[in-house]
Order: sequence, then C-alpha cells, then structure tokens
Amino acid sequence: MRILLVEDEHQLREQITSQLQKHNLTVDAAENGEEGLYLGTEFPFDIAIIDLGLPKISGIELIRRFRADNKTFPILILTARGRWQDKVEGLEAGADDYLVKPFHIEELIARINALARRAAGWSSSVLSCLPITLDPSSQQVQCDNKEIELTAYEYRLLHYLMLHAGEIVSKTELTEHIYEQDYDRDSNVIEVFIKRLRNKLDPEKIINPIETLRGRGYRFTLKRDS
Amino acid sequence: MIVKRLSLTYRLLFASSLVLTAFLGVSAFSLNNAFEASAVAAQQKRLQNYIYTLLTAAELNPDGKLQMPDELAEPQFLIPNSGLYAQITNGEKVIWQSPSALGLFITLPEHPAPSIRQFNTLKLDNGVTLLNLSFGTVWEDNDRKEHQYTFNVAEDLSALHQQTANFQRSLWYWLGGTGLLLLIVQVLILRWGLRPLHDVAEDLTAIETGEKKLLSQDYPVELSNLTQNINTLLSYEQLRRERYKNSLADLAHSLKTPLAVMRGELEANTDLSSLKITTNEQLERITALVEYQLQRAATEGQNTLLAPVAVGNIVHKILASLDKVYQSKAIHRQCEISQDPQIHADEGDIYELLGNLLENAYKYCNHQVNVFVQSRKGMIEVSIEDDGNGIPENAKLDILKRGKRADTQVEGHGIGLAIASDIIEAYQGEISIENGQLGGAKVLIKLPQNQIRT
Repeated sequence: MRILLVEDEHQLREQITSQLQKHNLTVDAAENGEEGLYLGTEFPFDIAIIDLGLPKISGIELIRRFRADNKTFPILILTARGRWQDKVEGLEAGADDYLVKPFHIEELIARINALARRAAGWSSSVLSCLPITLDPSSQQVQCDNKEIELTAYEYRLLHYLMLHAGEIVSKTELTEHIYEQDYDRDSNVIEVFIKRLRNKLDPEKIINPIETLRGRGYRFTLKRDS
Repeated sequence: MIVKRLSLTYRLLFASSLVLTAFLGVSAFSLNNAFEASAVAAQQKRLQNYIYTLLTAAELNPDGKLQMPDELAEPQFLIPNSGLYAQITNGEKVIWQSPSALGLFITLPEHPAPSIRQFNTLKLDNGVTLLNLSFGTVWEDNDRKEHQYTFNVAEDLSALHQQTANFQRSLWYWLGGTGLLLLIVQVLILRWGLRPLHDVAEDLTAIETGEKKLLSQDYPVELSNLTQNINTLLSYEQLRRERYKNSLADLAHSLKTPLAVMRGELEANTDLSSLKITTNEQLERITALVEYQLQRAATEGQNTLLAPVAVGNIVHKILASLDKVYQSKAIHRQCEISQDPQIHADEGDIYELLGNLLENAYKYCNHQVNVFVQSRKGMIEVSIEDDGNGIPENAKLDILKRGKRADTQVEGHGIGLAIASDIIEAYQGEISIENGQLGGAKVLIKLPQNQIRT
C-alpha cells in the first residue's frame, strides 16, 4: 500500500516515514504543498497524510486541489492546533479523518489501515478470506490459523491483493503500489514474488488463492468473509 | 494629507471663519449699496427742493422778463463757492445765476422740455464734480406769450462722497468688531463643546499609566456609547489577561507533577523498560495538559462586540465532519434545530464547545446520537444524547466542578467535557449531565444569546 506523506517538519517526516516503512507501507514524503501536489498528481497513492500548516500550498488548499482533480484516495489530516474550526474546514475540503499532534505512531497506523479498509470496501479490521487472514495492525498472515512468514515485499504484495480481493490488479499497478517513487523496479520481480507467495500460502496447490490472467494481471480469488 | 491631520478645533474654526467672513462681506456690500443709493436719492430730492425754492422766488415781470429777488431762502446760493449753485437759462442766454456761481461756469447746455427733470454730472475746471438738475419751465406773460426757461441747480458731489466714506468707515469698524467678537465666542464654544473629548483622552492616558482602570461614566450622550464600549473592551481585556495568567499558572503547576514523577523515576530506577513506560505515561499526561490549557487560553468568552453566530450551521458542519470520520461505526443520528438560533459569541469558541461535546457522543455511543438545538427566553439550549455507557455518577461532579485543575481530570469524556465546561463558564452559561432516555450520557447546555453589558 503506497502512502503520500506531506509534512514540513523534517524530524517528524523522517520519523513517520521510517515507522510506516517498518509497518510495511510504501511511503513517498514531500516537505511542502507544492511537492505534495506534484507527487499526488503523478503517482497512484492509496492514502495521503497531509499536515495542515504547510509552506507554499497550505494543507487545506492541497486537499481541495486533489479533490478538484478527482483524486479519490482517502486523506488523513495532521494538525498541531487541534481547533475544531480547522478540523471541520479540512474535512469539508475533502479530507476523511484527522489526527491531532502529538500522536502515537500506532494510532496513525490504525487510522491508515481503517481508511484503506473503508476505501476498499472492507468492514472488519482483519482482512479475512478464509482460510487466509491478514492483520494489517500486526502484519500477521495466517492460513488455517497457522502463521506464515513473509518477506516485506511479499507482505506488501499480498496486502494490496487482499485489499482488492476479487478485483483484477495489473502488474504495473502492483509495482506502483508497493515501491517508492525512486525505487529501481523490475516487473519480473513481481512474477517471482507471486510465485513465492503461492508456494508459501498454498504449498499443496489446493486453494489456488492468486490466479494469473494472462496479459491483464492477477486476482486474489478467495471470497471476503463478511 | 493636511486635511486629515487638522484637529477638530481647527476644522470647525476654519469653516466657521470662512462662513463668517462671507456673511460679513455680503452684509457690508449690501449695506454700502443701500446707503449709497439712499444718499444719492436724498441729494436728488434736495436738488428738486432747491428748484422749487427758485420757482417760488422767480417772478415774470410784465414785459415778459424773469426776475429773481436779491435775497433767497437758501443762503448758500449767495455765498461764493459754497458748493450750491443755480443758473436760469433761456436757450443760450443766461437769465440769472446765483451769486455763489459767479465766474464758475458758462451757459449750461441742458434744455429739457417743460416739466422734465434731467440729472447729469458736471466737471469743473478746478476739478470739482457737481450733480446738476435741469428743470424745464414755461411761463406765460399777460399777452399770453410763452417764455421757456431752464432752471439748473448744481451741488458739489464731494459732500456726498465724504458722507459715503464716513459711513463705510464706521461700517467696517462695526462689522470687523462683530466678526472678531463672534470668532472669540466661537473659540470659547468650541473649547467648551470639545472638552469631553479632551477628558476622554486624559482618562485614557490615566488608564495607560495605571492610575485608573475604567473610563468615568459621566460623558455626554454622544460620547457615552463610545466610552461604554471602550469600558466593555477594557473589562473584557482585563478578564482575558486574568484568564491567560491563570492558565499559565495552572499549566506550570500541573506540569510539575508529571515532571516530578519522571525525575523520581530517573533517579530511583535503572530498569530501562519501566523507565520507558513511566516516561510514556507522563508524556501522555503532559500532552493532555498542554492541549487543555491551550484551549482554555484560546477561549474568547463574553464580549458584547462579537457578531452573532448561527449555532445550527455550526452543528450541521461538525456533524457532517463527524459522520465522515466515524463512518465505519454506522451511527444513526438525529438532529433537530428550531428557529435557527443565533448567539453573540466567538465562532471558534462555539466550534470548540460543540465539537468536543459532539465528538464525545460519537466516540462513546453504540449506534445512536440525538442532538436538539433551540432558543428559549434568550437562551440557547443544546441537548446531546448518546446510547453509550454513560458517565459514572462520581465522575460527573468532578468533571463539572468549576476551577478544577486539569491534572486531576478524568480520562476520556473528561478532557472534552472539561474544555466545554470552561467555555460555558466564560459565557456564563450552564452545563448539566443527565441520564438520557437512550441509556447513555445526556449533556445539556444553556448559553445566553446576548451577552450582558458589563
């Protein structure tokens, strides 16, 4: 899952970025509104985290421009002042949630996961397509209640596929949503990851959780539990 | 701009002197004109009378010759160069002329028809100007033969000029004197009239230097509105300063406890993980304290100068925001706002008050939130009810107790309610927590719509 972070405070930006990456989220960080606008328009993001007090283009204005540009990704506002008038203004401009500084990183991750779930149409916090379940908060993947060890990129790939379970996801889309902007990508790697995921999730080839649609992409086939 | 910098006194003085000058000028001009006209008319009338005098004295002797007596009723005709002269002509021939006119002039050329008067000015060789009246007459002798004579009477104009000059001089003295007097009176009136303004300025200086706290009350009606508003502002500023001071003191005090705990832990404990837990807890507490005191300090509070704010509008906006944030909770909310109530308050305060209370309801409810807003008897009443677990009895009092320090506030509902409670206190409203019909908490607030003048 790829996240746009727009925060002008250097230290906080670095902290959030490294913490989110630790939680296996793909992060592109911008230090001002202008850079944020550029990144947000150029690349596909799943969620944007925007600080309200930004140089160049204010947070509120950035949100307005994204929404005017028909960007539908959920937006989470960060604000230091915590005044209700600011919150309401941000939410009216098109944001979906807010978090007042200072906050716990766990709280931020919980909000991100909740927004991602909501946007993808999930209602529970654990993505469950039995026998496979994925818990974004603890990043645990289980099959038949047995824990499955995944590498970071395997996890990112599975997370994205499961969020969009039932939908066809192209190779390009997968690449774009699990790698940062400046990462040297090789689309063949995706195929390798998929292969490894299949082996780890379904070594006996019984449930066939990920199907390949030639020339179109992949699809997570297991049904979402409601 | 010079006009901008001119004092009120100078503006008024300048304007009134202009008006005064114009008025006096016009008066002088018209008075002078009137005087001159009447003087000229009087002289003409006099000349006319002289003509009659001469006519009465004149006599036609039997051989048809006009005879004048040696003595005349007007002695000035007899004194040479007296300034009054007469001449009777018959065509080009001088029949008679007054002894005063001897050697002064030749035959006067005017010969108006009988009974016609004709005025004209004569300039003599010696520089004297005369006003001359010629009057045509016809005399009949015993043979019924008609003889035409022209009677001329001339008077020196310098007398008239002298008279006019005298009049003008005294006119200028009088008008100038009056103008000066009026100006002086004007200055005095201005000083007296503008006195209260100086008093206000002095009062304000006294406030600046700390000798006084408020402006005195006894100002003229025109100023009292202004001074009352200044006073309101001053008392309001005073209140706000106090609140800042209190907030600052509260903050410093309340920060001491978590700081002391952390220091104690640092000195007593060498276990890193336990230190981490304590630090975390205390940081949490400090954050909450800072947040709470910030809100308190930002509260505007009672102020008559604030524009009215539509409460319903704010409620709708906050509810729309909360609906978005708590979307996954699938909350069913009911909101009734009657009569679009308005309140004279700071918009930010009302946002803070309702935002905190409504968010509590959304946070702690299961699925239902009810909001009612109405205005009654000059008060705005807002009721916010949820179907959550409610607030424990013993916590209610703690939360609402006035002047309670934030470091002893209860968690959860607490901080939001404490902020709300502070704002309500600043607006002299009321807050109460009841057990609602939905089973959860029901918060009732009442706020005066119009702030009372202090």
